[in-house]
Amino acid sequence: LYAVAACSAVPISDLLDRASQRSDTLHSLSTMLTQDLDSHFPPIGRIIMPRPSMCHTSSLQTPNDKEQALQVSESDLMSLARSLLQAWSDPLEVLSTSVKTLPHPAQNSISNKLKELQEHSKSLGDGLNILSGKMGPAAQTISSLPYSGGNDIGQDRISKLTNFHFLLSCFRRDSHKIDSFLKVLRCRAAKLQPEMC
Amino acid sequence: VSMPHAKGTRHSPPGKPTLTRCRSPEKETFTCWWEPGSDGGLPTTHALYYRKENSETVYECPDYRTAGENSCFFNKNNTSIWVNYNITVVATNTLGSTFSDPMDIDVMYIVKPNPPERLAVTVMEDKSWPFLRVSWEPPHKADTRSGWITLMYEIRVKLEQENKWEMHLAGQQKMFNIFSLRSGGSYLVQVRCKPDHGFWSEWSSTSYIEVPDYFPREKSVWIL
Repeated sequence: LYAVAACSAVPISDLLDRASQRSDTLHSLSTMLTQDLDSHFPPIGRIIMPRPSMCHTSSLQTPNDKEQALQVSESDLMSLARSLLQAWSDPLEVLSTSVKTLPHPAQNSISNKLKELQEHSKSLGDGLNILSGKMGPAAQTISSLPYSGGNDIGQDRISKLTNFHFLLSCFRRDSHKIDSFLKVLRCRAAKLQPEMC
Repeated sequence: VSMPHAKGTRHSPPGKPTLTRCRSPEKETFTCWWEPGSDGGLPTTHALYYRKENSETVYECPDYRTAGENSCFFNKNNTSIWVNYNITVVATNTLGSTFSDPMDIDVMYIVKPNPPERLAVTVMEDKSWPFLRVSWEPPHKADTRSGWITLMYEIRVKLEQENKWEMHLAGQQKMFNIFSLRSGGSYLVQVRCKPDHGFWSEWSSTSYIEVPDYFPREKSVWIL
């Protein structure tokens, strides 16, 4: 009970600071994972890999530059970040299951990083739930972006590696969006301590 | 193909140009550069074309001037982030056109800021022991106040006559104290910055500072 009481006393700016540290790590992990995969990627994979517009989250309208991003309200930025994060809980599970059969020499390291990524993603999700609860109903709206790729990442070596890489590259872009939105929110909340930005 | 002893050079279509790099200094604009191939002995022009993800329309470079020779500058209105640009350079002379290999870029992956600005170093004193107070400003183009870009800083310092720099990470702070001075003399100080996800800037211009030689030069004497 004391912990709950102490928790509720944490100012929003501090919570946002913690959340953006998480989202920062999340994106950095996805970058490291991409580098691991790149080290052993079949050349044909670059040609047959689906375009980024095929990502299951690409239907979500998000700002595409600074001017647009700065015009979005706090609640909407939070809602976008949460929608994107939520959209990844299933596909991250698919990645984490299919890594066991991934024909890649760094399979072990990829598997460990994925585990870490999932943990960060989950704890960021919990944090954003608390934050959005403090921000009001508009921030709690979530757009549903179902993943229809199924549990199977592919049959043969090439399609496994290619689909794995494709999913990760989608996540990499989305985690960069989440991180950027949260950092803009952090600076808006930190108006009293501008040295944070 | 040219013949070494012929009076005139054989003319040919232009050689293949190479897209060398693209860079965004602040997540709001970006520039791409290319290297021309051979001109085939004829006046050759280069044009850059791009197509954005989710669009079939091909556009030509909006600005060949701002970033100098063999470059294309995309201003704020022409720059989107989290969108792939498929970029190709075409060299053309009267005998034909040659295309570069295309390049796919997303601004999120090419951020390299300009160096920090207004670097200032002063000698301070703490209990009669000197230390350096280093302060600076973010590169003026980077909008760190809105949180659109977040910068981390690194400082390096060395005595003029030494070869090795001493490095210090300052995090997001724009001020740093260096207490580890070993003697008086002339110190060189530089600072650089890195965005949260991107590349280190070049080092800033150097700041020189003279530290007076007022250290108590105590020599321990061991009596065995």
